Amino acid sequence: MANHGGGAAGEVGIGGRPLPPSSIPAGDQTVWADASPFIEAACNDLQDGELIHGENFSLFAAMSALEIMDPKMDSGVENCGYCSVEEAIENGAAPIPLSLDRTVDVQRTIDVMDHLLACEATWHRGHSLAQTVFSCIYLLRIERTSSHALLHSYCRITRATCNAIISAVADARTHEEEDLFTMAYGLPLKGEGDEKCLSILNSVEETISRQLRACKAPSSKKKVLEDLESLQTNPDLEEGYCRALLCRLRFRKHFYHVLMCLRKPQGRGLELARKHVASCLSELAFIYKSLEFLRSVSHGSAQEDVENSTTASGCRPVGFDVSLNSKLSAPTPPRAIRLLSWKKAVGYFEKLLHDLDVLCAFTLDPMLEDTLRFVVQFQKSQPDLIARAHLQLLLVQDGKLCGRDFFYDVISKALALPELAKDQEFQKNEFVVQLGQLVINLLKILCTNSAWQRRKLGKILQDWSVISIQLELAFKREFGEMLNVSIDENVCMKVSKHLLIWAQEQTYWIASRFLTLGFELELYSPTDYCMVYWYMYVVFVKLLEKMQMRIAASSDNSRRKGKKKRDHAKDSGRDAGVSSSCLLLQCYIFLSEGLAMMLAALCNDCKVFQMTGPFNGEEERFIQQFELLQKAQVPEHISYYLFKESTVHARLFNVAKHNYFREAQRIIASLKGSFSGEPDKLLEVRQLEQVAEHNRIALNVVNQVGGQDPSLRVSLEFTHHPYFAVAVVKRS
Amino acid sequence: MAAEGAGDGGGREEPVVVFSPSEIEYVSYGGEHHLPLIMGLVDDELSEPYSIFTYRYFVYLWPNLTFLAFHKGKCVGTVVCKMGEHRNTFRGYIAMLVVIKPYRGKGIATELVTRSICVMMESGCEEVTLEAEVTNKGALALYGRLGFIRAKRLFRYYLNGVDAFRLKLLFPRPSPTFLAMPDKDDSQNQPDHHP
Repeated sequence: MANHGGGAAGEVGIGGRPLPPSSIPAGDQTVWADASPFIEAACNDLQDGELIHGENFSLFAAMSALEIMDPKMDSGVENCGYCSVEEAIENGAAPIPLSLDRTVDVQRTIDVMDHLLACEATWHRGHSLAQTVFSCIYLLRIERTSSHALLHSYCRITRATCNAIISAVADARTHEEEDLFTMAYGLPLKGEGDEKCLSILNSVEETISRQLRACKAPSSKKKVLEDLESLQTNPDLEEGYCRALLCRLRFRKHFYHVLMCLRKPQGRGLELARKHVASCLSELAFIYKSLEFLRSVSHGSAQEDVENSTTASGCRPVGFDVSLNSKLSAPTPPRAIRLLSWKKAVGYFEKLLHDLDVLCAFTLDPMLEDTLRFVVQFQKSQPDLIARAHLQLLLVQDGKLCGRDFFYDVISKALALPELAKDQEFQKNEFVVQLGQLVINLLKILCTNSAWQRRKLGKILQDWSVISIQLELAFKREFGEMLNVSIDENVCMKVSKHLLIWAQEQTYWIASRFLTLGFELELYSPTDYCMVYWYMYVVFVKLLEKMQMRIAASSDNSRRKGKKKRDHAKDSGRDAGVSSSCLLLQCYIFLSEGLAMMLAALCNDCKVFQMTGPFNGEEERFIQQFELLQKAQVPEHISYYLFKESTVHARLFNVAKHNYFREAQRIIASLKGSFSGEPDKLLEVRQLEQVAEHNRIALNVVNQVGGQDPSLRVSLEFTHHPYFAVAVVKRS
Repeated sequence: MAAEGAGDGGGREEPVVVFSPSEIEYVSYGGEHHLPLIMGLVDDELSEPYSIFTYRYFVYLWPNLTFLAFHKGKCVGTVVCKMGEHRNTFRGYIAMLVVIKPYRGKGIATELVTRSICVMMESGCEEVTLEAEVTNKGALALYGRLGFIRAKRLFRYYLNGVDAFRLKLLFPRPSPTFLAMPDKDDSQNQPDHHP
């Protein structure tokens, strides 16, 4: 039988459904043959449960198989819609102009702009470009739009912006789970003329500005401006539409400028970027305000509710088709995604701009310690990929900090030995080079999303620990066991000792961040808190020890140099900053120890927060939680048994006597003064104050009531500080 | 793979079936006749498209790790797992867990998982792992009670943008020196554990 593969147009097959048109006609050398009986016979050859095994067809490999015609697995299965962009265009899916009525044309263009913004925000949030921004048929065939200046300019700048962002994220190479973000799958991201996108946009903006002025001019002046055609045909709506368009165009312009400025080397564009960020935010506010006007003029024409709509007007836009790209993107059909609503998209950009604003305020030429603090602070607002990638690009450029300082220079400043930076021996020292690489890696990791970041920090602990051990061995080899003897004039010895202490300090800093991030990521359950706070206490103690050693070593150094008076002032300013860092750490130490012991006492006295699983116990959980720290021996000699020894005898009455929280409060009181000029630090100190007070009270209450009251419920909440919990005592 | 609908069962409008735990029959994977039951349950509950080969991979190679729960002849829940060497660790993996809605919140999922884990433990696994959505409170509570910790958070692991936790259970290792906690006096004689 011939041609069973398909039929001519109008032909009907079994069941009355039309046969799809034959795509491959039989030719001279070929003929169609019906394979159905052959396949049926083959099917009967296998019994239930039997499977053909082949050399390349193992069960594991078979899991990648797709079931043809299963809509969840087979991209080619037509659900409905067009087979290609061309077919969609031929059928009027993306008309140009969008309407012959100029008012409707403007309205629909605004809808396209709004929907594109929603698509863009959705893409930023981690969905594919193909299903979001490039679901826009106008973008897929941008040349078609050249007769429509408004749409054309908006499409070009949007495309150029997306390209700039992909470029930035690809350059940052953070290799996070968001790798998919940079996959363009052959979509037309760049085209001739894109570099002129700003000038195209500017001329359109200029025209509309004049149209706005014209419609607002008193009638006497109107005659002069009458040679300018209005934007659209309804004079009552002219001002509203002009304004709605202008803020959208200007937002795009300023946003593009922000991205260009941020990529300027060595942070030279930060100040200008900040100005453009401010302009973006003000245009965004106007965009949001245009909602009222746009909704009112579209009222009645099939509007979606304002919360879920992807456009300000509430109308569905023309020119978008998500399924067109589904065959391009991947072998399996992409999962259906929900676009962010227009309101949420505006909110997303607002947040992005605020994060970029913080970035722009970064003061260059900083100390490494300040840079690390800045990044940690920046991450508190949970910035998204775009902002984080730009931060990383700012900090690490051409292997230098902010493209300016070599890392041996940065390290020498961190050691408080800035003169070393000019010493060629120091620059080439194998440890200095390695440490420079480790610092670059650390900075990059600190810019990634916190889930990824924590895993990477755990891994690099090994590298930092190894280099610290190597430094120590090298030091001992050369200078013997002289760590506690005051340094002689031997420069090598001094540098080695400084490097060692500094490397150890960074190692403990990384360990502390690894532990505290676990709280923010909700990795710990209440039954784990006791051991986590105990480990934090141990790590903070070592961190403080190394910090104090570093301070002692550098003040030794400046004392012996006989520094001039003005240097002393600068130093004492730095020393004050340094000593308040030490105080803050001491506060952390009291709080961690207090929490660990309070939780241990609650466990011992009241049997709360106990882990009683059928398969394992506390020791296994300890091993798992601290596996990477233990492997890197950060710190050494820490074990589950040590933890048990330290906590097994904790009782409420003796923990209360130790006054951990009161000690913390004492330190906090003096810290408030030191941090008075720094709002971020002051905020944290206030949070710590609340933590200390609430816990002190809770501990007293539980201690007084006695552990045996069964109606007492203790819960742990993070209402004040991201990683120091507050015990809340309630009667049930 | 997603560990699925098994948890809280609260606040649903589905008719809750009344039964006592003793009416539930737990059965190890017994052959091809069980496969459509498992596929039916999982296909209904999960949006992940699994081909039949995926199911066959698990139940053919590790039939002793798949369990089904029956109530009066009806299959109401299943767990599908595997185990093997992974980077020098012999590790079990829970691939799918489903209990149909009317039967949730009664410990069926816990029982299914427990049986599987017991087999893994007896087979010499050092640990068990799985992924679960951070929003799947039921699953997280279930595994938490069994001793799993949240080893990692995976950013936007699922295509709907939701993060996942990698959950891990570490079995106790046979201890070379002693099995019980040393008391205070003994600790002085253990050079390894000096503070």
